[in-house]
Amino acid sequence: MKCDFVLTVCPFCGCGCQFYLEVMDGELTEVLPCKTDEISEGKLCVKGRRAADFVSHPDRLKSPLIKRNGRFEPVSWGEALDIVSRQLSKVKQKHGPDSIGILSSAKCTNEENFLLMKFARAIIGTNNIDHCARLCHASTVVGLVKAFGSGAMTNSVPEIEGADCIFVIGSNTMEQHPLISTRVMRAKEKGARLIVADPRCTPLVGFADVHLQHRPGTDVALINGLMHVIIRDGLEDKEFIRDRTEGFEELEKKIRQYPPEKVSQITGVDVVTLEEAARLYGQAKKASILYAMGITQHTTGTENVLSVANLAMLTGNVSRESTGVNPLRGQNNVQGACDMGALPDVYSGYQRVKDKEARAKFEKAWGVKLPQEPGLTATEMTDAAINGSLKAMYIMGENPALSDPDIDHLKKALSSLDFLVVQDIFLSEAAQFAHVVLPACSFAEKEGTFTATDRRVQRVRKAIEPIGDSKPDWVIVSELAGRIGGTQFNYTSPREIMEEIASLTPSYAGISYQRLDNGKVLAWPCLSEEHPGTRFLHRDAFTRGKGRFFAVDYREPAELPDKDYPLILTTGRLMFQYHTGTMTRRIPMLERELPTGSVEINPKDAKNLSISQGEMVKVKSRRGEIEIRARITKEILPGVVFIPFHFAECPANKLTSRHLDPEAKIPEFKVCAVKVYKG
Amino acid sequence: MERQSGNGKIGAVLVVGGGIGGIQAALDLAESGYYVYLLEKSPSIGGVMAQLDKTFPTNDCSMCILSPKLVEAGRHLNIQLITNAELEEVSGEEGSFRVKILKKPRYIDIEKCTGCGLCAQSDFSNPKEREEEIWVDRVVIDEANCIQCGECTLACLEENPENHAMTNIALERRNFTELLPEQRGGREPETLAQRVALMDEESRKNFWQRELSRCIKCFGCRDVCPVWIYDGAELEDPEWIKPGEIPPSVPLFQIIRAYRIANLCVNCGMCEEACPMDIPLRTIHQLMWRQAPESVFEMIPGLDRKTKQKLIQKVKEKPKVKTEITR
Repeated sequence: MKCDFVLTVCPFCGCGCQFYLEVMDGELTEVLPCKTDEISEGKLCVKGRRAADFVSHPDRLKSPLIKRNGRFEPVSWGEALDIVSRQLSKVKQKHGPDSIGILSSAKCTNEENFLLMKFARAIIGTNNIDHCARLCHASTVVGLVKAFGSGAMTNSVPEIEGADCIFVIGSNTMEQHPLISTRVMRAKEKGARLIVADPRCTPLVGFADVHLQHRPGTDVALINGLMHVIIRDGLEDKEFIRDRTEGFEELEKKIRQYPPEKVSQITGVDVVTLEEAARLYGQAKKASILYAMGITQHTTGTENVLSVANLAMLTGNVSRESTGVNPLRGQNNVQGACDMGALPDVYSGYQRVKDKEARAKFEKAWGVKLPQEPGLTATEMTDAAINGSLKAMYIMGENPALSDPDIDHLKKALSSLDFLVVQDIFLSEAAQFAHVVLPACSFAEKEGTFTATDRRVQRVRKAIEPIGDSKPDWVIVSELAGRIGGTQFNYTSPREIMEEIASLTPSYAGISYQRLDNGKVLAWPCLSEEHPGTRFLHRDAFTRGKGRFFAVDYREPAELPDKDYPLILTTGRLMFQYHTGTMTRRIPMLERELPTGSVEINPKDAKNLSISQGEMVKVKSRRGEIEIRARITKEILPGVVFIPFHFAECPANKLTSRHLDPEAKIPEFKVCAVKVYKG
Repeated sequence: MERQSGNGKIGAVLVVGGGIGGIQAALDLAESGYYVYLLEKSPSIGGVMAQLDKTFPTNDCSMCILSPKLVEAGRHLNIQLITNAELEEVSGEEGSFRVKILKKPRYIDIEKCTGCGLCAQSDFSNPKEREEEIWVDRVVIDEANCIQCGECTLACLEENPENHAMTNIALERRNFTELLPEQRGGREPETLAQRVALMDEESRKNFWQRELSRCIKCFGCRDVCPVWIYDGAELEDPEWIKPGEIPPSVPLFQIIRAYRIANLCVNCGMCEEACPMDIPLRTIHQLMWRQAPESVFEMIPGLDRKTKQKLIQKVKEKPKVKTEITR
C-alpha cells in the first residue's frame, strides 16, 4: 500500500487555508490540517474538513458530452474539441469575435484563468471575458481602485489579531470565513472592541460590543452618519488627512448633511448606538474594517465601498499594520481570477485594456493584434444573448443558472444561444443548457496556484490522477486553442504558464513555483525575484499616490417594498453549503446538516401572515415565485426576509432583481421586494 | 548565604553538576570546612557514572566507588543538595557571588517518600509495558509526558494513606477547589478547570455560554480525536442536536462529545488544537473525569432537567462510559 500526503489549498472560501490530502493507493481518503500553515494553524472549518469527499463522487463527469436530440451522449475528446473549435470559429467568422462571450472561473487556478483570458483575447479576439467576481466584489475592485489605487484587501489575515477595534459590515464572517473569524475572536480576547453592522443577527453579533442593525441598502447613510459623529467629536486623524489624502473638503461638506438623527431615520439604528460605534471606531489606535457582500451587492455597491474607504482614511486607519479596509473574498481564487485579468477591461495585474502601452506589451508577447475596447461584463452578456448580439458562450467552471440574479431571465439567455460550451466537474444547472460539456479536473487533480483573499499566492498540488477522462482546465484550453489555430499555447506544465504570467504582470513578477515550493509566503505586489511580497498595502504612499475621498450621497435601493410586495428580500450563504452547491451538495455530511433552504422571517411578520414554524410558504417577487419552508427567527428585522441561494429546489435568485450598479455592473442581490404567502 | 567571614567573603561554595566529579569536589570542600551547595539538573545526583559497569584502569565496579560517595554526600552536614534545578545567572565577584537558581517542580514530597517504588509500577507508568516512556520515577513526575491519569498517586495513597508523598498536580488542583476561601492561604487558582470550579453558578453559566457559542460545528474536535470510536452517534442525531445550526446546541453538543470519550481520553490536546475557535475543550474533559454526572452539569450549566436525565441514562447504557469517580 502506498500512502502520500499532498499539501494543497482548500477549494472553498477565500481564507486560503492549506491542508494535506491523504492519498492511499491513488485514492483520496482524508483531509489533514497543516499545523504550520500561517492562516489555518492546523484548524479547519466543516467544509474544509470534507473537501476530499466530493472529488470522487459518482456524479463526476467522466467523458465529454454532446447534446443530440435533447440528450447528452458521451463522445471522445477529439470529437468534442473538433465540434467546439468548429462552432466557435463559425460564430466568430459569421458574427465577429464580439459575438462570443467567455466566463472564466474563480474556482480554477491562476494559470487557467490567465490562459482562458489569453484564449479570449488572442485566439477569439474579444474582451468579452468575465467571471463571478462580477457578482461578488466587482464594486470593490472599482471602488477601492478609485480611492486607493488597488482593489484588494489592504492587510493580511493574521494582522487582524492585533487590531484594537474591528468593524465588520455586511459580512457573516463566522459562517463564511470561519478562519478569519478566529482572528476576530482572538483580537476580542485581547481586548479589541467589535462593531458589527448587519441587518441579520449573524453568529458574530453575539460577540459584538455594538450591533448596528440597519435596514438593507442603507449602508452609505450609516457610514456617513458614523463619519459625521467622528468629525463632530474631533476624532479624525488630521495629519493623515493633510499628508496622505485629497478631496477632504468636499467630503466634509457632504457629511454635514448626515446628522445622527437623520441617519437614524433612514437606517433604523438609534442615535445612541450610532454614536457609540463612531466613538469606538474613531478612538481606536488600530481599527480594521472587514466587509463582504453586504456592502458590494447593491446598486450602490461602488458607493458603499467608497464610503468604507472614506471612513478608514478619515481616521488614518490605512497603511499601517492591523488596520485597513479588508474586503473578504468569497471564493478560493476569486482574487487570483481578477488578478489574472479575467475581466472585460483589464489584462493581468489590472493593466488597462485601453492603455496603449499595456496593450502593446501583450500584443508583442503574444504576437497578435488585440481588441481595444473593453468587453461585456457577465451581467451584460445575459442581455446581449437575449437581444441576439451574443451568439455563443464558453463557460469554464461556473454555474450562472443558480448564481445570477433573475435566473429565469438567465436561463432564457442560455437557451437562446446558438452554441454553449460548459466546462465543469459536475453536470451543473448551467451545463444542462450546453451543447457540449467538457469534463474538467477538480483541485485535487491538477497543479497550479490560488490567490487567497489577502493576496497570498499559494501552490495547489496534484494528489490523484484525473477521474475518468477528465482533463485539467489548462490542458483543455490549450488543446482547444491549438485546434482553432493558436501557436502560442504549447505549454507542458502550469509552471511555464506562471513564468509567462510573471513576465507580463508586474505585481506577480517575483512569483515563481520555485519560491513557492520552498515554502515562501508571497503576497502580491511581489515585484522581483528578491522581493519578499507585501503584507499590507499603501505603506508610505497609496498605489495611486494620494488617497482620494469621494463625497457620496445616500441613494435608495432600486426596488423597495410597496403595497404589492411589502417585504425586503436579502440573500446570502450559510455555513454548511457553498455557493450553488455543485460541490457541497455532494458531500453527505454537509447535506445531512443542511439538506434544503428556508426563508427566515421575523415572528412579527409571521404572525401577521399567520405562518407557523416550518410551514411551506410561497415567496413571490416581480420575477418569479418559489416554494420554501419558513423559519421564524428573531435574528432578522421585521419587514425583511432572508433566503440562502444554494438550493436549486428553492432558488433565491429566481426572485432577485437585475438592477445593476452603474459602474461595477454588480446586481443588487441584497435588496428586492417580495411577498410571502401561504400557498 | 549567611556564612560570612570578617573580610566580606563568603565561606560557602556552589558546585554545579552532581556527577562523580561534582560529588567528589563537594565532599573534599565540605571536609575542608566549606559549606557546599551541590546543584544538579536532573532529579537525583549520580550522573553518568552510575550507568557504567566497570571503570578504567582498575576494573573496579563503578557503583562500588560511587555509592558510598552518594550516601556520604547525601548525609554530609556541610552539603546541601539542590536537585532538579538549573543555574540561571551568576553575578558578583570573587569571594562573594550571587546566583539565581531555577528550581523545577517535582510533584513529590521527598521528605515523605519512602522509596517503595509502587508509583513507578502503576499501570501507565510501568516501563516494562511501555518501553522508554517512563512518566513517573520514584523521585519525580515528568511533567512533559505525564497524562495526569492519577494512577501513581493512587498507588502512593494505598501504600501510605496517612502520609503519602505524591503530590500529583491534578489531585492537588482538584483538592484546592474544594477548600474554603480562608483555607486557601492566599493562593490563586492556577488552571481554568479550577477557576471554573470556583465560579458561582451564574458566572459559570455565562462563561460556558460565551465559550461554547463560538463553536462553528466543524466536527474537528471529534475528527482528530485518537480515541473517538463511535460512528457519529448522538452528535449527528437530529433528536439530540438540531442539524444546520450554529452554534450547535449549547452545551449539549460538547457535553455529549466529552462523555463519549471520558474514559478513553489521554489528554493529548488535539481537540483543542483543531478547534478554529480556541474553545477550552480539555477543561471540559478535566471536569468530566473528576465529577459525577450530576455535578458536571453544575460545572457546565445550561441544560434542562429532562435533557440531563436523558443524557445520564444514555451514558449509563454504555458500559464503556464512566459514570462516577473511580477513586
